[in-house]
Amino acid sequence: MADATKTGKEFAPIVWEVERGKIREMAKAIGDPNPVYLEMEAAMKEGYRDIPAPPTFLTVPMMWSSSMPVLINDLKINFMMVLHGEEEYEFYREIYPGDTITGIPKVVSVEEKTSKTGGKMDMITVEILYKNQNDEKVAKARTLMVERK
Amino acid sequence: MANDLYFEDVNVGDQMPALSKGPILKLQHVLYAGASGDFNPLHTDDDFARAVGMKDGVITHGMLVMGFVGQAVTSWVPKRCLKNLSVRFAGMTRPGNTITITGAVTEKRQEASGNIITCDVVARDEAGDVKIMGRFSAALPSRQG
Repeated sequence: MADATKTGKEFAPIVWEVERGKIREMAKAIGDPNPVYLEMEAAMKEGYRDIPAPPTFLTVPMMWSSSMPVLINDLKINFMMVLHGEEEYEFYREIYPGDTITGIPKVVSVEEKTSKTGGKMDMITVEILYKNQNDEKVAKARTLMVERK
Repeated sequence: MANDLYFEDVNVGDQMPALSKGPILKLQHVLYAGASGDFNPLHTDDDFARAVGMKDGVITHGMLVMGFVGQAVTSWVPKRCLKNLSVRFAGMTRPGNTITITGAVTEKRQEASGNIITCDVVARDEAGDVKIMGRFSAALPSRQG
């Protein structure tokens, strides 16, 4: 079961250099043909200074940095029993190619709940506030993981 | 801007344009694994998925389905207007599913941070089973400048 004593713990920063190719790759993997994510000219016509990161782009730094497996191990969560319950983003500024974004994962809560069918679950909420190279807040990601026991 | 959506033109109860995605191919799971960095074999290896209890094999990345929601939302409201997007994963998605995202405006208000609309969104498969329940808020420009 998840180690509730780790509530409040902060983990090593995720540092990620944002590239135009990776933004395009993400849009293509989703199958999003919106030209603002693919072509600089189309993005600039819409008032962006380059192609902006699409809404779910923050999966990229989180997963490629292997931050989540480290956190899951540290909290002694059974990886085979964990489900992604909820995901929430708050957007403060656009994330653009050339930005270096830094996010510090923080465990904000670990709570035990009982499902309708009587099964016990741990609900683990992790927040990551991302800032850019100018120390400006760009976005916050909040992830709820559900560990079945 | 080409596709501006104005606060005055949006009313509570208005529907967001629906978006259908799919049928989802296993190949798309491989593309998404590479793009996102989520290499959990639950999404790409049928033998692994069956060994952990998924009798029909691999399941789709939840974040790919949230990506579809993001596509639907920012096809209607420009990305730069989006203030927040949250989802609850309500059911597993599998290759072969076609996911349709719909949404409706639930609230409209003017506040210091701008002209805010809030919308509920839902992603369902071809059988009508709910995969994602979500919500977003956006700050829209006003015709009054």
